[in-house]
Amino acid sequence: MKEKKYLVGIIAGGSFLVAAVTAQEQTPSHLQELLELGMHPGHAYVDEGRELFNTMKGPNGKTCASCHGEDGSKNLEGAYARMPRYYTDIGKVADLDLRILSCMTQYMGFDPKDKKFRKEFDKWSGKYRVPLATFVASLSNGMEINVQIDDPQEEEMYKKGEKLWFMRVGARDFSCGICHSVLAGKRIRLQGLPDPVKAKVYTHWPAYRFGNDRMWTMEDRVRSCFRAYFLFEKKWNEKSDWVKKPPPYSDWVIALELYMKHAANGGVIEVPGLLR
Amino acid sequence: MKKTVIYGASFTAFILIACQPTAQKAAVSEKKEEEKKIQVKKEKKKNLAERFKIALANQDKWQKACSNPDQIVPKGIDVETFRKEMMATVKFPEGGVIGKDIKRGEKLFGDPDKGGRSRRGNCYACHCGDPRILACGNIGPSLRGYAKRGIDPKDTYIRIYNSWAIVPCSVMPRLGYHGVLTPEEIADIVAYMHDPESPLNK
Ligand code: HEC
Ligand code: HEC
Repeated sequence: MKEKKYLVGIIAGGSFLVAAVTAQEQTPSHLQELLELGMHPGHAYVDEGRELFNTMKGPNGKTCASCHGEDGSKNLEGAYARMPRYYTDIGKVADLDLRILSCMTQYMGFDPKDKKFRKEFDKWSGKYRVPLATFVASLSNGMEINVQIDDPQEEEMYKKGEKLWFMRVGARDFSCGICHSVLAGKRIRLQGLPDPVKAKVYTHWPAYRFGNDRMWTMEDRVRSCFRAYFLFEKKWNEKSDWVKKPPPYSDWVIALELYMKHAANGGVIEVPGLLR
Repeated sequence: MKKTVIYGASFTAFILIACQPTAQKAAVSEKKEEEKKIQVKKEKKKNLAERFKIALANQDKWQKACSNPDQIVPKGIDVETFRKEMMATVKFPEGGVIGKDIKRGEKLFGDPDKGGRSRRGNCYACHCGDPRILACGNIGPSLRGYAKRGIDPKDTYIRIYNSWAIVPCSVMPRLGYHGVLTPEEIADIVAYMHDPESPLNK
């Protein structure tokens, strides 16, 4: 606490460089230090997302704000805290990414089959998905995660997620649980293995990862972890039969998100997160 | 309904192509080849869901047995039988379990020139070994000084080929069983691990 004040004092004094160096000595993590300096690189995504939310028009002239109010003030505060959940308008359990995609295609007139649009939406470097998701998630900051499993579809999804979490599969015999429940706390190479279920890490997703200098949604995170499995179609063949990731917005991904986020109920959302 | 449309379209295309002067024909067929390739690529993408489903369905019965919250052999399954069944899958290379190409073994274990990286063996993800490789995991036991432990090279071979023949449901992947490494490649890794001159054992 004292140290924090000390830091702020130095910054106020304008001695930026010194502050950074001092902070490194005093705080265990260089990321914590950035946070304290108010220099979270993820905030640019929130701003970008807000801008898009208010001004980007779909082919039919609607913006996100047309339905959800300026800055999402009408009905999006706390929405992320309850996702993934079943939505009657699309007849599916959706996560944040799929919910936004559905709004854009069903209500704003974007064509889901339009390649250009999909590129801008699906890719992490595209214009739409990541900034919008980060912004919408940030509208639930300070609120507790509160994922309910009361719809039969949600229940089915949850069971699917739980099963998938422990499912040993692929040419490396991995499961999510082997790395994140059994080996949690150990190191794979130099990378510590977190426990997303017990540690309620969902509170800091979407997260900005320093390692590759970009924002990740949980979709990106889950799909990337699957790469480690060496999943294969026929016999394991590194070149031809290797299935790297589940498709985006697929039930597999959403089921795992539901499983993990339900475990994080009660955790207070603070996004965007900041990871190494 | 859709089919008729496609037939119609390809028929029109056929007429169009048939009317081309021969000089242009080659270019057209080249273009067609190109389109075919794009189609194949598309097909691959479209089938990502299908492919993923198959990949999950490829789970074998032993993986299924280990897929419980504890990730160990569940009650009701006999561990000895499990081991025996796994042991029966182990194939040995013709030249014996100690290979000749120690250098290749080292590269498969983790290439020191690439900071210990190796796409397939990737032992450093979980084990430490060569003291020069600092980026090593602590999931499995350290393999530093491995040759001095008096372990039979045949057991080392079995461990790498199918770790579940020794520790059922272990975190250690069954690299030979799945074909990630060939018997000859595993024998080279064994040679590297048991060679007194290997940096592992220095
Ligand atoms: C072979 C190991 C491995 C497997 C298997 C694996 N992961 Fe991960 N996972 C990691 C590592 C390593 C990290 C930390 C990455 C980082 O911080 O850069 C991670 C990070 C995560 C995180 C973020 C944790 C945090 O601190 O916020 C989540 C969530 C996650 N994984 C979910 C999954 C799911 C779901 C699966 C199964 C589909 C899975 N993982 C399978 C290695 C694995
Ligand atoms: C994902 C983790 C992982 C990977 C990758 C891995 N191992 Fe292991 N290894 C383990 C674990 C865990 C053990 C401890 C015993 C057990 O549970 O099977 C082990 C045990 C061993 C042992 C027995 C050690 C002793 O003192 O008896 C040997 C030998 C070994 N591994 C070699 C290798 C080699 C060689 C590779 C790469 C080709 C490799 N391992 C890759 C996790 C791994």
